[in-house]
Amino acid sequence: MNEKKILEPEGVASCEAKKIVELIDVAKSFDGEIVLDHINLVVKEKEFMTLLGPSGCGKSTTLNIIAGFVTPDTGDVLFDNVKINDVPANKRHVNTVFQKYALFPHLNVYENIAFALRLKKMSEEEIYERVEEMLAMVNLRGFEKRDVNLLSGGQQQRVAIARALINRPKVLLLDEPLAALDLKLRKDMQNELKNMQRKTGITFIYVTHDQEEALSMSDTVVVMANGKIQQIGTPTDIYNEPENAFVADFIGESNIIDGVMLDDYKAKFSGHEFECLDKGFSKNEPVDVVIRPEDVDVVPVDKGMLVGEVTSVTFKGVHYEIIVDIDNFKWMIQSTDYVAPNQKIGIYIEPDAIHVMKKSEFSNMFGDYSSFSDELEHLSDTNEEENGEDE
Amino acid sequence: MNKKNIASNIYTILVFVFLYLPILVLILYSFNASDSTSVLKGFSFKWYKELFTDSATLNALKNTLVLAILSSVISTIIGTAAAYGISKMQNKYLKNVTMSVTQIPMINPEIVTGISMMLLFVFVGSIVGSASRLGFGTVLIAHITFNLPYVILLVLPKFKEMDKNLPKAAQDLGCTPLQSFFKVELPAIMPGIVAGFIMAFTLSLDDFVISYFTTGSGFETLPIRIYSMTKKRVTPDMYALSTLIFVSILVLLLISNLTSDKNRKEMSKKAKTIAKVSVGSVFGIIAIITVIVLAMSAGTKTVKLNVYNWGEYISDGGEGSYNTNLEFEKYYEDWWYETKGERIDVQVNYTTYASNEDLYAKIKSGAGGYDVIIPSDYMLEKLYKEGEIQPLGKVDKITEAIPNIQYLNEQFKQMFVYPNEDGELELHGAMYTYGVIGIVYNADKLAPEDLDKIEKGEMGWEILYEQEYMEKYKGQILQFNNARDAFGTAMYYLGYNVNTATKEQWQEAYELLQKQKPPIVQSYVMDEIYNKMESGEAALAAYYAGDCLAMMENNESLGFFYPKNSQGVYETNIFADAMCIPKASQNKELALAYINFMLSEEAAVANAEYIYYSSPYTHVKDNLDYQIYMGYCDYDYELDENGEYVLDENGEPIIKLDENGEPIIVYFEDGGDYSTIYYSEFENKLGSMFDTYAYKDLDTAEGANITTQDLNGYWEGLKVDSGSFDGTIYIVCGVILAGIVAFAIYSIVINRKRRKLYWSNSPSESTQKTVEKDDSMSETVMIAAVKAENKKKD
Repeated sequence: MNEKKILEPEGVASCEAKKIVELIDVAKSFDGEIVLDHINLVVKEKEFMTLLGPSGCGKSTTLNIIAGFVTPDTGDVLFDNVKINDVPANKRHVNTVFQKYALFPHLNVYENIAFALRLKKMSEEEIYERVEEMLAMVNLRGFEKRDVNLLSGGQQQRVAIARALINRPKVLLLDEPLAALDLKLRKDMQNELKNMQRKTGITFIYVTHDQEEALSMSDTVVVMANGKIQQIGTPTDIYNEPENAFVADFIGESNIIDGVMLDDYKAKFSGHEFECLDKGFSKNEPVDVVIRPEDVDVVPVDKGMLVGEVTSVTFKGVHYEIIVDIDNFKWMIQSTDYVAPNQKIGIYIEPDAIHVMKKSEFSNMFGDYSSFSDELEHLSDTNEEENGEDE
Repeated sequence: MNKKNIASNIYTILVFVFLYLPILVLILYSFNASDSTSVLKGFSFKWYKELFTDSATLNALKNTLVLAILSSVISTIIGTAAAYGISKMQNKYLKNVTMSVTQIPMINPEIVTGISMMLLFVFVGSIVGSASRLGFGTVLIAHITFNLPYVILLVLPKFKEMDKNLPKAAQDLGCTPLQSFFKVELPAIMPGIVAGFIMAFTLSLDDFVISYFTTGSGFETLPIRIYSMTKKRVTPDMYALSTLIFVSILVLLLISNLTSDKNRKEMSKKAKTIAKVSVGSVFGIIAIITVIVLAMSAGTKTVKLNVYNWGEYISDGGEGSYNTNLEFEKYYEDWWYETKGERIDVQVNYTTYASNEDLYAKIKSGAGGYDVIIPSDYMLEKLYKEGEIQPLGKVDKITEAIPNIQYLNEQFKQMFVYPNEDGELELHGAMYTYGVIGIVYNADKLAPEDLDKIEKGEMGWEILYEQEYMEKYKGQILQFNNARDAFGTAMYYLGYNVNTATKEQWQEAYELLQKQKPPIVQSYVMDEIYNKMESGEAALAAYYAGDCLAMMENNESLGFFYPKNSQGVYETNIFADAMCIPKASQNKELALAYINFMLSEEAAVANAEYIYYSSPYTHVKDNLDYQIYMGYCDYDYELDENGEYVLDENGEPIIKLDENGEPIIVYFEDGGDYSTIYYSEFENKLGSMFDTYAYKDLDTAEGANITTQDLNGYWEGLKVDSGSFDGTIYIVCGVILAGIVAFAIYSIVINRKRRKLYWSNSPSESTQKTVEKDDSMSETVMIAAVKAENKKKD
């Protein structure tokens, strides 16, 4: 339920909002290996932005450049429209929540949070007030004297957030902050973080490789791969309108099929012509066609637009995951109805379920589930029969 | 409790007993009123009191502490910096190499480290051209060097454990890189630093080998001092000192445990305060000591005299006795002020050694810088022949250089006199003490007929070597654990002279000693002889006369005699120790003054009383105080009808006076134990005997048919197949080693096999990526939400 609420387009980090951080043509390489390939990025005030990508995509480096721990080879970093390339990390108005929290092990909870204020030589009374305020915000009142090493992961996480927020930064950077938590706790913290961001109005730049986390929390998702930004958009856009095969594959499950755009609203793939809602391609242009597994309807063979043979069925709780071989291309279909392995089925695809993308460097790299069943062999033992559809 | 529990409890108790029993015994003896390890006389703080009056030991303790503190602090700083550097290294190969290189010194035997350090210092000294004095500086460098790897080993893991983002987090919150190091990184690795410091401190505190090699004149650490006490015996105040050290280390350990992370969490406020206070006080004490040492080093012009003597071989102020070195310093400072009108500060750096060979090695290494050394006869001769010592003065003018030498007993005047190139006679050593080997026995354990023979003065070396006696006293005889003395007594039994004997005669003595080996000889001993004789564990032993006197004080059944040969002539080993000035001495004038002071009546008597060995000086032998102390005579006291002393108003016994008002002295008719040794007719002949009976340097003496090496070879031969391991132990060691090697090879082979398998099967890069993607969990839930969203739009 929560996810649903968050997805409402109130991530209105609206268009009119002020730019707070801007990266212009930023590039960085380590030991000759390109980590960031001339990226441009604008972060607006009060926005919850997530940098999403597999490890090594450059998302952490981007964060480190904003924090000031890494200097870009070329390009400018602007903060409030002022160039801050040469401002050291300790002078920037950003604070960071680190992956494993990086709490100071020799200090207790109170002192950890008060650390930044003590550096500013604030009066004890003021420090006390601010720390208590922070503790209240992260629900850790009464934990002042605790040893940070003895806190649970979630509590450490809260201390790390409080410590980073006590400076009242304009931008909070979060480097995979939930990666070390277990699933249940992670869900709770996602909500809490989102609420905190909404309450404080601080811009969050959040790095994760967990696409679910990205979709559920962000106003804006930036998908990165190979040191480049692949797509910037709202979670819904990213999911429904992936820019290329990489994004389609990385976000959720996708069947990505080679196709040809015959005309506007007319695509051909798997030897069959389909109606679709896409236009603006040149005639007979080769394209990638994305069809989400849940958008494929299983129908009797005679009613199917395409016909294939089921190679494996896996029970997933909400639905079955069915791998179907259609002309040697393995499709994934999610269906609440059971079909038996080796059974021939027909499939039916609605026009709005078809998303057509331009060919990219990622074409033909993803979207085929032929290796899928091998990997999850041990899970593919279910042999129940059911029929029906999700949508 | 079940069986398993009982067994494990017993095991634990055994481990504790095994670990701590020796220390408990040590503590027990430190409170023993008697100085004998065989007699428990009652509880007393005597040795603690004495410890704090023993200036040489206190000085050594101070040296050791200063050394330990400085070396551990410096090595902790350098080691932490090194660990920091290593932890930041990017190149893995380089990192591994650096780590192994730093760790090699830990595995390196100390003896190798010590010798190589000494060579380095001497070598550098000779290049720099300075008078290459080994001393505090060189020992400090050596200690820092061997402490470093331990500090790195303990600190490095803390850097590794530390969250890599910690310095980033600190900077993120506003720290400069420097602040981040001191406020965050340093505290985070503090437990490692503290552990490293404590490790370095204790290592430095008890290091003997490396200190021994790298120190020179004038700087003696406690372990060196204790080790060098073996010429006489380890004094019980060392038990007191060891107890104190153990207790302080225990306290230090407790503190470090209390303050460690784990406990800090559960510690109450009170305990925390206590811990803080105790840590504070420990550092306070350390600071105070440092300040005192610094204060002591500042001051007026300092003249240093480096004296290198046997351990426990000078009256050092213990038990309220005469403090020879301190008195000399005062005397010389005053004399200087009176004659030159200038205040100076004289410092006698008094260090000690355990054997002539140690002394020789030190002199030969060039590490010395000593002004006065006290070798034994044969070593003095050897050093003279090798040009390592300088003459004290020409014989005819020697009383100008050392006025007090005039009191040297006529019979010793020819000793250590050698001609120079012009044929003039020069004295090279001023005799300090001499000693004779005799036989100490336990009257309760000898057969009456043998006792009778001893009392009649008819007993000789046969009591140790003749078959009949060896069988009679089988397992009750103690033999010297040193080649010269053991062979000496055997040679005299056989009627051979150690300096002229042929190889065959030596062989004969060797066979005799072979025959006498355990079980006839109970064991080969040096220091342990005190315990064994005093406790009545053994019946017979040959030992040095002065030491035998000390034993007799603790057991009334013990007696002593000088053995005679079949012709009724005394034949035994004798030795003399004499003060010499090495060639390298920087201050001959001061050295001569020191020697002269040592021969002054007051100092000479005090030393003779302290050491118990014979003094070759007439003013000592004629000194009434000395004679009374040695039991040769006593005052004639007023006695009442019960034979008790009559006391005066001060509680002192009243001494009878003669008609001139002089106290009457009574000389003991039977001579007593002491006079049998020191005032026997034999003593008066000794001077002429030295040439024949004292060992010469076998390597250079005319007429000697074997070398020192041969003698040592015989000794090794004797010891190897007696006290040392038999074959089985070698087999056991061999089997263990072979087992370890086999296991190592086995595991290498197995590992390689396993690796081969999984390396060939390891997933390719592309599949790895897929796996990673699948890590992002439970997309399904999310997707359901998106679908719901889509539906809404529809």
